[in-house]
Amino acid sequence: MALLEIDELKVTFRTRHGPVTALDGVSLRVEAGETLGIVGESGCGKSITALSVMGLVPSPPGNIAGGAIRLAGEDLVNTSPRRLRRLRGSEIAMIFQEPMTSLNPVFTAGDQIAEAIMLHQNVSRAEALSRAVALLDRVGIPEARRRADDYPHQLSGGMRQRVMIAMAVSCQPKVLIADEPTTALDVTVQAQIFDLLNDLQRETGAAIMLITHDMGAIAEMADRVAVMYAGRVIEEGRADDILDLPKHPYTRGLIACIPNVGKGEGGEPPPLAEIPGVVPPLHLLGAGCAFRERCGSAFERCAAERPRLLGPAAHPAACHAVEEGRP
Amino acid sequence: MSAADPAAPRKAARAESPLREAWVMFRRNRPAMAGLALLVLIILATLYGALLYGGDPYEIVWAPHEPPGATPEFPLGTDYLGRDIVAGLLTGGGPTLAVGAAAALLTMLIGVTIGALAGYFGGAIDNLLMRFTEFFQVLPALLFAMVLVTLFSPSLTMIAIAIGLVSWPQTARLTRAEFLKIRKLEYVTAARAIGARDGRIMWRVILPNALPPLIVSATLTIGVAILFEAGLSFLGLGDPNTMSWGLMIGANRAYILSAWWPVTFPGLAIFLTVFAVSLVGDGLNDAFNPKLRER
Repeated sequence: MALLEIDELKVTFRTRHGPVTALDGVSLRVEAGETLGIVGESGCGKSITALSVMGLVPSPPGNIAGGAIRLAGEDLVNTSPRRLRRLRGSEIAMIFQEPMTSLNPVFTAGDQIAEAIMLHQNVSRAEALSRAVALLDRVGIPEARRRADDYPHQLSGGMRQRVMIAMAVSCQPKVLIADEPTTALDVTVQAQIFDLLNDLQRETGAAIMLITHDMGAIAEMADRVAVMYAGRVIEEGRADDILDLPKHPYTRGLIACIPNVGKGEGGEPPPLAEIPGVVPPLHLLGAGCAFRERCGSAFERCAAERPRLLGPAAHPAACHAVEEGRP
Repeated sequence: MSAADPAAPRKAARAESPLREAWVMFRRNRPAMAGLALLVLIILATLYGALLYGGDPYEIVWAPHEPPGATPEFPLGTDYLGRDIVAGLLTGGGPTLAVGAAAALLTMLIGVTIGALAGYFGGAIDNLLMRFTEFFQVLPALLFAMVLVTLFSPSLTMIAIAIGLVSWPQTARLTRAEFLKIRKLEYVTAARAIGARDGRIMWRVILPNALPPLIVSATLTIGVAILFEAGLSFLGLGDPNTMSWGLMIGANRAYILSAWWPVTFPGLAIFLTVFAVSLVGDGLNDAFNPKLRER
């Protein structure tokens, strides 16, 4: 039994165009101490997957229509809001994309971390504050004692994200969900944040679910990768396998999009690759493969039948072309 | 925001909490500071003026309608009964300000609670509460307050309650709008993600961020409430047993053509007070508005 198991999760949203399936049978597993990377473009269901695990899918309009989420065997979909609230922050924690806006502007950094501690542990305010300072120190904020009295607007983006991380790990959660934790940060700061997350994971043995659209982040952080497209997992496997031998045309496209700064064949850097088109609106998904409009390998079967996740258990992909061995 | 300017020296950047920062901005605003000074002066005068001056506002001390300046003992003259107007002003200010403050407090209490619940929970609760709010909003305010005061005793408490009951819908709508806006922000989701419950998110996370416009609105409500009390008193619905500025105007209004001063001076006092309160409210509005900070 894996620490966190998502099993055939289906999430629907009520929209003007009628009900739309945002997640369609997503299954994922994360073990303790493991980092699962979830990649895909905007709108493919990454964040909804994370919010589902947190029990924070906005409802209405969102609704978990089927499937199961289990944390150490405990069902999270049908549990009481009270129990879920207790798990949030203590067993499962989340780091958000925008450190600029995910801290409350009217409270100091120290206050907000202390608040998170006091929500789940029966400690005095003074004790919580001193732990907050220790955490700030742990996440690499210099002069932590002084910085604890700073308001978010006095901290840089990288520091704010460190504060968010300190808040998230304050109660030593078993699962840490990081939703594009470095998207809003400088490249140099990104690497520091990844190092920090890796260190913390080694210390606490937490499972990390890293949501990103950045293949570089995957290479840096992930042990295993799930590639998502239009609400489904379309390829899954060990990070090395996916990066070296991507199967699905979409995954290949994503990897081709990693900018290559080095010299190409003609002595010039190769031109940036792109995947033409955008993720189709979910209410317009027909019967076939959701990627076929943008896919170079599409053939008749792709328009008629939606591919299922098939292939070796260690590295399956959902693509008719891969299944039939077409180029 | 000036405090976020990385070029500013570290010491200056430690402008402390957002409230403190607003105070720094407020202090630079001259009209607002003048308003605050005037308000403090008026409050001090109503608190201690009567004691220092020593006259009894209810006692007939001289001939009626003595014009101001005619007798050095009564610098602002006497009213239609021969009562000292200065004594009346100094004594009547307290109840006037108290009614204003109490009504504003009540307005905030009802308005913020209902607005917060409606804005935070949305859906059916929002619908229900907002229809309820609209019911109060469409009532003609002065008429409703008059009915309340006539039905019950025309005491200052009742007047404050009446004013509170007719002015909270504004505050409720403002609070709801702020809550609707803020509840979608990421730090609210982040608070939920660390396991905070609804009550905590409403009062500890969203409300502090919604406070600036509410503080401004509360200040302005004080001014409106003072005018309201004066209006009720003018119509003869004030508390006849407690001296207030509105009551002075109401009692003397019949003689305004023959004696202007018993009406004019309390009127001026009301004008100055509301003016001071509005300057402060306006200053607070500017102080809390980051877009105006660079000026």
